[in-house]
Amino acid sequence: MKITTLSLLYLLLYTSLSAQEQVTLSGTIKSASTGETLIGATVYIDGQYAAQSNAYGFYSLNLTKGRHLLAITSVSYTAFRDTIDIESDMVRHIQLNDAAQTLEEVVVSANQGRSLSSPQMGVSQITPQAIQNVPVLMGEKDVVKVLQLLPGIKSAGDGNSGMYVRGGAADQNLILLDEATVYNASHLLGFFSTFNSDALKDVTVYKGGMPAQYGGRLSSVLDIKMNDGNNQDFGINGGVGLISAKLNVEGPIQQDRSSFLISGRRTYADMFLKLSNDSSINNNSLYFYDLNAKLNFELGEKDHLYFSGYLGKDHLGVGDLFGLDWGNTTGTLRWNHVFNSKLFSNTSLIYSDYDYKVSISSGVNDFEIYSNIRDLNIKEDFQWYLNNKNSVRFGLHTVYHTIRPGEVTGSENSVINDRLLQKRYSWENALYITNTWKAADKLNITYGVHLSAFSILGAGDFYQVDGEGNVTDTTHYGSGDFVKTYFNPEPRLAMSYQLNEQSSIKASYGRNAQYLHLVSNSTSASPTDKWLASTNIIKPEISDEFSLGYYRNLANNRLELNVETYYKAMQNQIDYRDGADIFSVDNAIEQDLLFGKGRAYGIEWLLKKPAGRLNGWISYTLSKTERQIDGINEGDWYNARQDRTHDIAIVAMYKLNEKWSLSANWVFYTGDAVTFPAGKYIIDDQTTYYYTKRNAYRMPDYHRLDLGATLQLKQRKRWRSELSFSIYNAYGRENAYVIQFQDAEDDPNRTVANRIALFKFIPSVSYNFKFK
Amino acid sequence: MISCSNYKRFFAAFVGLLLLSSCEEVIDLDLPGAEKKYVVEALLTNQAGGCKVLLSQTKDFDEDNSRITVSGAQVSIRSEDTTLILPESSPGTYTDASFHGAPGNTYYLTVQIGEETITSTSTMPSLVKMDRLSITREFFVDDYQNQPTIDYIDPEDEENNYRFVLYVNGVKKHQLFVMNDELTNGNHNSTRLFVDEEDLDDEEKIKSGDIVRVEMQTIDKAVYRYFFSLDNSATGENNAATPANPVSNLQGNALGYFSAYTTQEKEVRVP
Repeated sequence: MKITTLSLLYLLLYTSLSAQEQVTLSGTIKSASTGETLIGATVYIDGQYAAQSNAYGFYSLNLTKGRHLLAITSVSYTAFRDTIDIESDMVRHIQLNDAAQTLEEVVVSANQGRSLSSPQMGVSQITPQAIQNVPVLMGEKDVVKVLQLLPGIKSAGDGNSGMYVRGGAADQNLILLDEATVYNASHLLGFFSTFNSDALKDVTVYKGGMPAQYGGRLSSVLDIKMNDGNNQDFGINGGVGLISAKLNVEGPIQQDRSSFLISGRRTYADMFLKLSNDSSINNNSLYFYDLNAKLNFELGEKDHLYFSGYLGKDHLGVGDLFGLDWGNTTGTLRWNHVFNSKLFSNTSLIYSDYDYKVSISSGVNDFEIYSNIRDLNIKEDFQWYLNNKNSVRFGLHTVYHTIRPGEVTGSENSVINDRLLQKRYSWENALYITNTWKAADKLNITYGVHLSAFSILGAGDFYQVDGEGNVTDTTHYGSGDFVKTYFNPEPRLAMSYQLNEQSSIKASYGRNAQYLHLVSNSTSASPTDKWLASTNIIKPEISDEFSLGYYRNLANNRLELNVETYYKAMQNQIDYRDGADIFSVDNAIEQDLLFGKGRAYGIEWLLKKPAGRLNGWISYTLSKTERQIDGINEGDWYNARQDRTHDIAIVAMYKLNEKWSLSANWVFYTGDAVTFPAGKYIIDDQTTYYYTKRNAYRMPDYHRLDLGATLQLKQRKRWRSELSFSIYNAYGRENAYVIQFQDAEDDPNRTVANRIALFKFIPSVSYNFKFK
Repeated sequence: MISCSNYKRFFAAFVGLLLLSSCEEVIDLDLPGAEKKYVVEALLTNQAGGCKVLLSQTKDFDEDNSRITVSGAQVSIRSEDTTLILPESSPGTYTDASFHGAPGNTYYLTVQIGEETITSTSTMPSLVKMDRLSITREFFVDDYQNQPTIDYIDPEDEENNYRFVLYVNGVKKHQLFVMNDELTNGNHNSTRLFVDEEDLDDEEKIKSGDIVRVEMQTIDKAVYRYFFSLDNSATGENNAATPANPVSNLQGNALGYFSAYTTQEKEVRVP
């Protein structure tokens, strides 16, 4: 490792010394109207791509002394153009004005829009504007639902939460909200995500080719950045939908220098439940809420401080009998420091907490089950814009995880005894370094490594388990003892070769290690699934992903075509043994687990029209994902539940006139791989089903059409409002949520398959307003 | 732990309430059949008349639900030093009217069907006295339910596993009720049977005047595991888990189980 880093540095030094008389231009790019920093704004020097602003709006580039044309573009802002005379290092902060709302076709030049030359592949960026117009269930704008319309990212289906990226499992997605990990990003059994899209600035998802600064999950990184808060003007926006209401308040604390943002959303349907006279209804409760808060302060020219917090909770209750609560709490404190025009640093202190509680109370059988995972995290990240040809990023992360896997407590009179599973402690560390190198005029290469280490700490008991799942040995460790450390170097390589002005090809290879696992006995994530840390028996999951892509601009740059193909090999995949009791209160959970490997491969097509009166995209994915685990399916390879051969999404948005805009999306996918009975027999006088191969059958194909329309209401000087209508599943396709097998109702001598479908023709109306 | 099925029942009932606009329909599925497999259901209780081994075979999904019995097999149960051969009293049923087991003893089952040998072992657990059977009226999700409630004291010094079988007006309910003492060890238990009455008319629910009979069994750990996994994954409900065959305590190429258990019954009239 030492030798590689040293040679890396020598390489950089050599290339920087042999460059021409270069000076540096740097600064921060912001929105003129709100003061929000702009992420990913593109900077052009003399018509050539030169740099992009980072996650905090900072850019830095090297150029020769003298006069140059400077241009900066960003989606939904008018381009900034100027001529600069530069003789020495210069700091130039730029403000972009909002783009005028026009109806004409916007001609996108080759230099605008996406970067064909960047080696980064497997990435998609969603702007909040795109989220606004896509029709969704019950009118709740949801960034995670929109992501699932992109190729390679699959939803778990109606009524289920979680997403599967390139054949990976639902826990293999790293979900970050302002750098804090969100462990359960879904509300209400998966119908909605925990992200209030009004408060979001940028949503970027990496399906492959993960940049070296990310680690900890195999299949994707969902990096969500919130708005900082308008530091120019005070503003309120909000809305009322079919099931929830939301409000967003932001404004300057000190104009230009500091601002705040508070955003909240809550369902209100449960208030109607209470009004009912029917005791079968008013006893039940159901709600969720999200609260986001942000503060930011500019401390002089070179320093900026940000605080972000998130609090969210779900509650389901059936009278006093049953209650289910879960929620996330996150807090981040970040400090940006600009050392000089080439070196940008960010230091973050992060707290993240996820817990759930099940309460059951029936007479003396009352108890609570509680589980929790808590992280304390420090990150230090340096971005070193070395020269025209090299841009280096390096840093470190350290996270201390505390997991309370399960605690059962009964009340005073309860017949249930208290059982507390031992807490589990672990310390996850990572060091990374990566360079994006312009190797030749048309060739860009990103090379780097993410070195991760995971230490399992005491106090606690750790076990040895035999092939049958019996505990053969127990070792006790004291507080602070190191039980075991796993070490994984994760190389990350990517390259792009620009064939011509219109097209390029890219390739990447990356290894990822995952140390925390969500073990679930169900095929779709349930809030009571357990997060487990690796142990002496549960090894870290590892994936190796190769991908190749072809990118082309068509029709005079009005259309974008992306074709990507990937192959992902996964090790140490986990599943439950047959008959395992997931609620078992036994410390040695390894008794119930089986381990094996997985593989996923596919080809993804995306045809996109990003601008114009009619815009949208068509995505198609052809893929396969399989697992092989000894002890399941007789050790043969079997389809993972989320294996869906074809996955198609067509999204279209059309601005009809000044007042109306219309949208539609159609999705189609092959049904999940499921296990259906191969036969039946009688046990205890009832029909019991006989299963042979796992996941060798298919659910019926899923497809539905959603339609939406938004009407801009009368605008006044400081007030804007709109009404949004939508129909989910407009042609009422009965998509199977589950297929059950049972004796026929009219003839118990026959068995039938009973399909339960959820949503058909769900209309919704929502009202949104903006007050400045 | 009060079986996960209770938690699932709440969850499912609640989700059912939530999904007001869901709809059900019977559909045609083309399910290719599989090679027939033997099914052994072997029971031995602590009372005479409880010794019974049922042999049958699996059928394809489209066939009717009658049992295909297997005749002409050699079935025997061995305990300590005695081996008892069970004659075929009716097609597929091998019984001995007087043989019964005793708590604490281990029994070995051998079934020979042609070339196929199937064996199993089960230890009859100790009897746990069923103190009382009563009916508790409880509000559950959207209506009042009459829940059979069984009182008993769980012995502290051993691992106990229970199964309850419910009969309403003489008709056995198909729902499985199993539990262990993982969380209730040593305590005075008052176990409620949460009957799934979601799809039933008022007439079919447990109502005033009905005669409720509950059989309380103490079963061994492997049999608990069998019924627990059966309830979770082989009843066809497909609620959460990936369907799979129950974890069987039989050795050999057969489905089913062998249970040596104690049995007690009580009856009560719903007030």
